[in-house]
Amino acid sequence: MAILVLDILTTAAILFAVSAGLLIILGVMKLINFAHGAFLTVGGYMAYLNGAAGLSPWLSIPLAAGVGFLGGLVIERVIVRPLYDRPLDAILATWGLGIVIGQLITLGFGRGVQFAPNPISGTTELFGVDYSAYRLAVAVIAVLLVVALSALLKLTRFGLNARAVIMNERLARGLGIDSTRVRALTFGLGAALACAAGALITPLISVDPNMGLPWLVNSFMLVMVAGVSFPSLLVASLILGGAQVVVSTYANPILGGMTIVVAAALVLRISPKGFSRA
Amino acid sequence: MHDISAAITTRFRVAATGCIIGLLVVAVAPWLLDTYLTNILIRTLFLATVVMTVDILWGSVGILTFGQSAFFGIGAYACGLIFTHYGFGPGWALAGLALGIGVGAVVAAATGWLAFFHGSLPLYASIITLALPIVLTQVIFSGGNFTGSSSGLSGFPTYYWDLRIWFWTAGTFLVLTTTAAWLLVRSDFGRVMVAIRENEERCAYLGIPVSRIKIMLMIASAVIASAAGFGYAAFSNVVAPELASFQLGTEFLIWTALGGRGTLLGPIFAALGIDTMSSWLSGTMPFLWKLLIGVVFVAVIVLLPRGFAPLVGGLFRRILPVRTAGAPARVLVPDTRSRLGQGADDQKPPLRIEHLSRRYGSLSVLTDVTMTGRASHLLGIIGPNGAGKTTLMRCISDGSERSGGKVEINGAEIGRGAPQDIVALGVGRSFQNTNLFDTLTVADCLLLARYRIDGARLFRSSVGIALPEPALDILRATGLDQRLADETGNLSHGMKRGLELAMVLATEPSVLLLDEPTAGLTRPERMVIGKVLGRLTRDYGLCIVLIEHDLDFVREISDRVVVLHQGSILMEGTVDEVVSSELVRSVYAGHHVEAAQ
Repeated sequence: MAILVLDILTTAAILFAVSAGLLIILGVMKLINFAHGAFLTVGGYMAYLNGAAGLSPWLSIPLAAGVGFLGGLVIERVIVRPLYDRPLDAILATWGLGIVIGQLITLGFGRGVQFAPNPISGTTELFGVDYSAYRLAVAVIAVLLVVALSALLKLTRFGLNARAVIMNERLARGLGIDSTRVRALTFGLGAALACAAGALITPLISVDPNMGLPWLVNSFMLVMVAGVSFPSLLVASLILGGAQVVVSTYANPILGGMTIVVAAALVLRISPKGFSRA
Repeated sequence: MHDISAAITTRFRVAATGCIIGLLVVAVAPWLLDTYLTNILIRTLFLATVVMTVDILWGSVGILTFGQSAFFGIGAYACGLIFTHYGFGPGWALAGLALGIGVGAVVAAATGWLAFFHGSLPLYASIITLALPIVLTQVIFSGGNFTGSSSGLSGFPTYYWDLRIWFWTAGTFLVLTTTAAWLLVRSDFGRVMVAIRENEERCAYLGIPVSRIKIMLMIASAVIASAAGFGYAAFSNVVAPELASFQLGTEFLIWTALGGRGTLLGPIFAALGIDTMSSWLSGTMPFLWKLLIGVVFVAVIVLLPRGFAPLVGGLFRRILPVRTAGAPARVLVPDTRSRLGQGADDQKPPLRIEHLSRRYGSLSVLTDVTMTGRASHLLGIIGPNGAGKTTLMRCISDGSERSGGKVEINGAEIGRGAPQDIVALGVGRSFQNTNLFDTLTVADCLLLARYRIDGARLFRSSVGIALPEPALDILRATGLDQRLADETGNLSHGMKRGLELAMVLATEPSVLLLDEPTAGLTRPERMVIGKVLGRLTRDYGLCIVLIEHDLDFVREISDRVVVLHQGSILMEGTVDEVVSSELVRSVYAGHHVEAAQ
């Protein structure tokens, strides 16, 4: 039982960390970033490279975030900015970008599976059971991430501008907020979060050029259900991630793999606004 | 009359010519191509048929679908499963094909039910179509030996026909379905599809069952995709989860985008070209080729949203100027079977509102509104800005809007009905902002408005548009009857308002909701509208509810006036009673109501 609870909590934390970058881009830019999966993959390969270079495994996360931020700024300028008025086209363009990134990675590293070193190996005892220490660490990091992102949005000038753009972009522009800059920074931040999340989860799984894809679909569903607030993303991760763990444990893992997708689709059919009203 | 039928005949001649040329190319091609290329092309022809259906859904109706591969996969697995586990022979083949098509249609109907309902976002529909292939591949994975799990099924018995026969089968299938689709998008029904893409909301308020049409199209394209999948599997003798995967679904989208969405032939040629090239080049430089496709795709989406087809088409037209088969000119005819105003009965009020309220969170926009609209009466609604007038209209015409209370139209409660259901009960609504389809012609707009009553022909165009007398009157008075072939985007403001009103009347309502129909019009234009409204109440027994700021205009034509203030009814009475009321004057002048009382 304790293991089940811990599984649910850590799974929710991982899902939250993986989806946060997608959510912030959707919230501010009203844009679904289909390259999110590719960004996660890039983060995973950063962790792999970091390990191969013999650096401390903890370094891989800030390193991936930095690369993601810079890459995100460039991508925003070249591909995303011309598509602001065409949201469905932006989905396609970012999906195409994901293909390009995936193929570049395949060209560089081959199709094979790689592994990244784990910063904390072994297990730790909690509530009377031995549990993977790194999964627990990831959960702690995810909680810190919620706090940091909420603080960023609530306490900083950038956060105020971003919230203004979320609520009413026209008015925000009229008040002298440079919404283009806010969007660029947001995309950079979203990409940084995605890459960092990729680096974060890599020690738990392996790296291959398509590793981001299953995560893309799940985080996409979570974000749709959550609307545009971090607390409701956490709630969505807990409920749907919990459902996934329960189904995987008691039914079978393949059914578990589609739990989030099916549950999210049904939630949205019944209540098109998802959990965001709560 | 001659020109019109000529235009329609020309369209059929173009279709027939294209179809015959296509069939000839298909007939000759196997003798000119080597075995390797024929082999590749047979598969590609099946895939191109699916891409054609993607173009119908995305290019014509605006449904961005990631899930067309799921139906392709269903057809393919129907073939693989039947031939592997049950039996092989002409009977089994037909059974498999029927099974694939049937399951595909049922799954499409279920997906459509999930994805399309009044108020669903296009993005949400895309998500559902994205979830579909993901769920389906998981189901295939969990099928164990039955579905062959991740490695799929292969080596099942199938028809080892001569390659030429397979090529002819696949090619004929593509040419025939494409000809049908070509005629479909150019038919009257095709205009309805474009209208849904352009302005879904407005279509719903004209009584067009938008969601049902989308679901029907989804089912039709699923049937074609399933049949293509069946053929693909029967020929290639292999089925694998990749055939149903969302990667293949997005590849269909990529081909459609590159070829030019909404052009039908563009996506087909893009599919044929790219997939053939892929099979060729993926042997020598697999990753580089996919990379190149990705880069070109992103560049086309950003720089050439219409794809390559318009470029190629423009080049073609420069070399070979051809007369395109344009839209047929249409004529207006009086609707002899018009039921406009025939249900009017002085005893039964067509519109009854009881204790209606509308809240947005803690903000109450309407509270406890109770009123009755009688037949042959024109009820004016006045009130300062923000009084809730437009919200009231919205609550009458869309069942999901109100927070509490009851609305009855001709004795039937509207419940939670979508706008098109309420139009069917007899409500017609015009909008405060002229809300038309800019790229459609005047005649197309009128055709749309008649969809609920006359339907739309699937593969043809009809010449005459039957309209009730008052609608014709408005069109004549505003001169619109001379400009039927003009795009509505080019009309003057007065004409747009006139067209808007004519469209609402064409739906033959018994309760007419008009939101500032004369805003921004000149004095003579107002007179025309006022006269028509007068006739509608007098001769046709309509119940008209009118929001209006111009009190003089209201005085001229209204029987009774309701004054809304801060979401509740402040006063109801004749025009003179209301105008002379201290209470109303103080509200308009901005004094406190309490002070006036």
